[in-house]
Order: sequence, then structure tokens, then C-alpha cells
Amino acid sequence: MEYILHLFILISFYTLLSQSLNLAAGYTGLISLAQAGFYGIGAYTTAILSTQFGFSFWLNLPLAMLISGAIAFVVSLIALRTVEDYFIICTLGIQVILFSVMNNWMDLTRGPLGIPGIPSIHFFGLNLDNKISFLLLSIFLVAVVWYILKNISKSGYGKTLKAISEDEIYSQSIGKNVYQSKIISFTLSAVFAAIPGALYAHYITYIDPRSFTVNESIYILSIVIIGGLGNLKGSFFAATFLVLLPEALRFVGMPDNIAANMRQIIYGLLLVAVMMTGKNGLNELLSKKKVIKF
Amino acid sequence: MLNLISQIVANILFSTSIYLLIANSFSLIYYATKHFHIAHAAVITSGAYFVFLFANKFSIPFPVSVALAIAAATLIGVLCEVFVYRQMRKRNVPALAYLIASIGLYVVIQNCISLYFGDDTKIINTAEVTVGHQILGAYITTIQIITVFVSITLLIAVNLFLHFTATGKSIRAVASNPELCNIYGISSNKVILIAFGIGSALAATAGILSAMDTNMTPTFGFNLLLYGVVAMIIGGVGSTRGLIAGSLMVAAAQHLAAYYIDTKWMDAVTYVILIIFLIWKPLGFSGKRLKKVEV
Repeated sequence: MEYILHLFILISFYTLLSQSLNLAAGYTGLISLAQAGFYGIGAYTTAILSTQFGFSFWLNLPLAMLISGAIAFVVSLIALRTVEDYFIICTLGIQVILFSVMNNWMDLTRGPLGIPGIPSIHFFGLNLDNKISFLLLSIFLVAVVWYILKNISKSGYGKTLKAISEDEIYSQSIGKNVYQSKIISFTLSAVFAAIPGALYAHYITYIDPRSFTVNESIYILSIVIIGGLGNLKGSFFAATFLVLLPEALRFVGMPDNIAANMRQIIYGLLLVAVMMTGKNGLNELLSKKKVIKF
Repeated sequence: MLNLISQIVANILFSTSIYLLIANSFSLIYYATKHFHIAHAAVITSGAYFVFLFANKFSIPFPVSVALAIAAATLIGVLCEVFVYRQMRKRNVPALAYLIASIGLYVVIQNCISLYFGDDTKIINTAEVTVGHQILGAYITTIQIITVFVSITLLIAVNLFLHFTATGKSIRAVASNPELCNIYGISSNKVILIAFGIGSALAATAGILSAMDTNMTPTFGFNLLLYGVVAMIIGGVGSTRGLIAGSLMVAAAQHLAAYYIDTKWMDAVTYVILIIFLIWKPLGFSGKRLKKVEV
């Protein structure tokens, strides 16, 4: 039972991560490979603030979002001068730099040793160290973020983003500020990515840089692609599928170390299959809909 | 002090030639197809692992297993093109899809290697371990000298091939306008396949040389490829002098950072340079136009 709850909590983390990336990648067409970096910033901010200064989760969360957003803002000013392939390579570079900082800045992050002893969350005197209450908190945050993202996509700003992802030059010609909209979208995406980071730090109570590598970024991007770009529900289902996949593989009797590789092989193949056919997500791949562009 | 300087210079020279080889192989494919082929990293890795498989497990004589390994890794690159990219071109998918699909391919091939060989560090056993030659106070191993020569030779060979043979000229033709080539009866698919073949063979060679110099893990190709890509972007696509300058700059920055700051910041320094270049000099050293870099 404990383990099943753990899986649900993981699903909620990856739902948050993939939906936050979906804002940048799905709505605006900014395919980013730096999402794990911002996830890491959220986790590290929380870990450092709570172990060094004894801040509570409710103070850490907004601060983590703020710092992640601030870094993303500065980064986006630079990265958004490039487009398409070069943007992806640029975000990959940013991911590697963020990882290097987490892994090498010993004074701040303790490098590969990681930060242990992050306290659990207190909620009006109630200690959320059992899994059920933590899961409820995560579900609450998933619901809030989902609601906000849904409304962003429906708002005028969301429509602008959609227009940018479809035709950048045309949106510019009808007076939309493309550069600014992209910066806001990228920054917001990083702000939301800090939420699962803060949760993760309090949940596991120990973080080290290995959770925030390039591979993690690729994994988050795969969830978004497999779920469908601009499809929040799809991101949720894809996150559920990919988190439960290794369990399913273990269930059919595959040893742990093979299951880990098999999971990656399966999502790699799905990524190739979805991209090869030019469909948007697994959902469309299975139902023979017409090809759409993003 | 002199010893130290000559050692740093020797290291820079060696890294430059590895990156040059990779940048050369990657840019050949990029030149013909205009998309990033990230699965190239898996081709680099698989070259080295095939040598390990043939030489250490099947005990095939070393030169034969190197040749077999290059052939096998080339086959992987060619299969990527035939079964994935060609199908994508047929369906006319958006440009970004190629890059994402290539990331997927990389994940698949890299994990297949992990599954079969394990994630631990492997060493390709060559006959004997020697101290290395001392030249001007710098210790240089035989394999490093071979690498420098192989890299320069292959760079010249590829250039001669591109400029003086009919096939090479058709690669350049396809690079400049694939549709017009098809009208004139040059099959762009065939030409791109040749580019993938040559590029993958060069990449496998680079992977083998790099693995013989140090050691290998299933992910070592990814970093090497990214250094090569950074060198290519810095240097500018389609310019040999640019590639040399780019590789030299990446290698020099890494080794100087390792000396003045710390070896652990080598990666970060590489990408800082990349980002600086993408902003202030998006066209690279050579000034040739990259695809849509400016907004």
C-alpha cells in the first residue's frame, strides 16, 4: 500500500513537471531540454532554505518558484534569441550548466554528496510525513496548476502563444510581441517546474544532483511529446503510463536493472514513433487522425 | 614550467583532433540533411563497444575487429537514416521533429548498449600498456599520436572527397538545394545515405580512438558529440577552417579551465562559450549563415 501511494506521488510530480513544460513546449513551441534544471533549482532552493535557515514548506515554495523564475527569466533573455534546433541545443547547454553548478558548487550545494535531513511538511501543526497526506497535498497542487494552465490556454495570452507556435512572423505582423510572450511563457514554465522540485525535496528528505540530469530532462520532454503537445490531459496520462511502466515490466518478471533500461527503450521508441508519423501524441498515433503541425 | 606548458599544449592538440573528427563527421550529415542527428552520439559509443565485443569477447585480431566495428557502427547510422529519417522526409514532418526523433533514437540505442554490456566502465585491451613518449617534457601516448594523424588525414580526405569526386560534389549539391538536385536526376535520398555512411564511419573511428585513450561507458558518446556540435556551431557550418578553429577553441577552453579553475567546470565552460557565440556571433567564425539563428 505504501508503495502504491509512493507511485501516485511520483505520478503527481511528473504530471506537474510535464504540464509545466507543456506550457513552453506545447503552447509556445519552445521545446526545452532544461526543465530538469529548473526542477533542480526548486529542489535545491527548498533544501538549502529549510536545512540552513529552518524555513517551512509554505515559505520555501514561493521562494523556490521565485528563484527558479528569476533564473529562467535571465536565461530566456539569452536563449530566446535562437530558434528551433539551436534553441534546443541552447537549452541543453543551460541544463548542463545548471547541473554543473549543482554538482560542483560545493559550498552551496555540497556537490555529489547531496543535502540530507530536509524536514517534512507541517500544515497547521499537522505533520505531513505520512504518504496519504502528502499525496493529498500533491494532488491539490496538481489541481491548482492544471487549473491555472487550462485558463492560460483559454485566455487571450494563450491564444497568442498558440499563434506564435503556428506562425511566428505572422503573429508579429499583427502586432503581437513575440519575444516578450515567449519570455513570459518560458519563465512561467520554470516557475511551475519549481513546485514539484520543492515537493520532491520535502518528500524524499535527501537530494543530490543525479536526480536533475540531462536524462531527466529528456524523460520529461518525452512525457510531453507522448502525451501530445498542448494537451494537459495527455501529459497526465503519459506521466501515469511512464511511471507505472517499470512496475508493469517488473510484474511480468523482468529483473530491476533490465526493467530500468527497458523503460527507457520503450519511451525512446514511442518518441520516435510519434515524431516519425508527425502525429501529436500517442493518443493521435493510435486513433488515425490527420497529421497536424506544431 | 616548460613541461607543464608543453603538456597542456599536447592535451589541447589531442582533444582538438578528437573533437575535429567528431565535428567533421557530424557536420557532414548536418550539411546534407540540415537537421541535428543526436543519435550520432550512440554511433560514436557503439563503435567503441563493438571493438570491445569483437576484440575482447570474440578474440578476433585487433585490426580486424576495428574494421568490423566501424562497419557495424556505420550500419547503425545508416539504419537510422533508412528507417526513420527517410520515412520522416516522405511524410514532410516539421523540422523540429527530426531532432526529437533523433533524441529518441539515441535513448533507444544507448540503452540497448547498457543492457548488453552493463553500465560499468570498460577498457579496450590493446596489447601492452606503455608509459608514453616524452616530447619536450610532455608525456604523449602512441594512441594520442595516432589520433592526431588519423584526424588530420580524414579531414583532408573528406575535403578532397567533397570537392573532387562526383559523389562528393553531389553531396554539396544536395546541401545547397535538394529539390533542384532531384530535378537534375541526383537522388537526394541516395546522397544523404552516403553522407550518413561516411559520417557514421568517421564518428565510430573517433569513438574507438577516444575509448582507447581513456575508457568508455555507455554514455560517453553524448558528451563527445556535444563538444563536436559546439565546435561546429562556433566554427560555422560547412567551413573546414571554421571546424578547426571551433575544435581548437573548445579544447583550449576546456584544458585552460581545467588548469586555472578546476577540471569539474570543463563542461560548464564549454557551454558558456557556446551560448556566448549563439548570442554575439550566431554565424560562427566563418560567418556563414546558419539556419534561422537570428529572430
